[in-house]
Amino acid sequence: MTRDGRNAEDVKDFRQMTDGTLLQAAAARDPAAFAEIVSRYHQPVYRLVWRMTGGSADSEDIAQEAFVRLWRNPAQVREAAALKGWLMRVASNAVIDRSRKPRHSGIDEGPEPPDPTARPDAPLDRAQAARIVDGRLAALPDRQKLALSLVYFEGMTNIDAARVMEVSVEAVESLLARGRRSLKESLSGEWRDLLDGLGTKGR
Amino acid sequence: MEYGKDNRLDQLLQSYGADRTRWPEAERQRPGMGESEDDARAIDRLLSLASVPDVPDGAAARLMQRIAAEPQGAEIIAFRPRAKPWSIMRYVAALPLAASLALGIYLGAQGSLDFMLPTAVTGEVALGDDVTDELGGVGEADAYAEENLT
Repeated sequence: MTRDGRNAEDVKDFRQMTDGTLLQAAAARDPAAFAEIVSRYHQPVYRLVWRMTGGSADSEDIAQEAFVRLWRNPAQVREAAALKGWLMRVASNAVIDRSRKPRHSGIDEGPEPPDPTARPDAPLDRAQAARIVDGRLAALPDRQKLALSLVYFEGMTNIDAARVMEVSVEAVESLLARGRRSLKESLSGEWRDLLDGLGTKGR
Repeated sequence: MEYGKDNRLDQLLQSYGADRTRWPEAERQRPGMGESEDDARAIDRLLSLASVPDVPDGAAARLMQRIAAEPQGAEIIAFRPRAKPWSIMRYVAALPLAASLALGIYLGAQGSLDFMLPTAVTGEVALGDDVTDELGGVGEADAYAEENLT
């Protein structure tokens, strides 16, 4: 048995299948086929949601919601080859919808308490640097954040990212450029510390 | 967007960064150095500092548990007509109509109802010369012509 409760033989069979075949099987209420879809795309969808929400505790729920929507009606994915993109679009739309609703305070929101053992003149370690960059990325406008997440972090081509975002390739490039520039400007205070810290502290 | 000498090169640097493996495949061989290459490289390094989150332990299993409890909304239910115990009765309403039609055809063939029909339908106008004269005055046409045209 695997971690998600599937038989090893089932996993072997489903791994050979295309997304289209898996979608057909899922439409016929085959949970094992759907579990293979989950194993293929849960990680990238979760990462996208996590980045867009700035590491919110709701990330798992939002990512889950995209898959539940798929399970309810697998036929709504018109191009089976674009299944990953469809999931990314549904998940990112869910994040954007939530961001428009009034916020409730969560434990992951707000500034972290200062570390009493930290020395102000000490170079940043990798984890500190990551938290700063994550925070600045999360503060970018949604569309810029989404473009950067898809192309830079998830390695999608500009064409695939444009499909997910339902915009032109030129618009994706513009969002990427603006996102990168905004990130640089928002980090202008810590710019040198961050880059210097890279060389002085281990990863 | 700010552009240098090669607008597209700077655009690529600003959008995708200095690592050409991240550029659109068709443009990776573009020669030259953009004016913003150093900037792009620095932003790449900043981005590389971002966390790579792992999916929480058991998240996939929790998702599949939810799926197991979730009905599929797109289930297609085949249409099946309801069984009718009185199926022969559906023809009862048609019986008076069929009888009326049969009676009408019979009476029409017998000619019993011709007196009810207009003469145009029975052909009486075409067959009777007298009737023609009465209706149109055609029989006096010759006399009329002699009196008035000569």
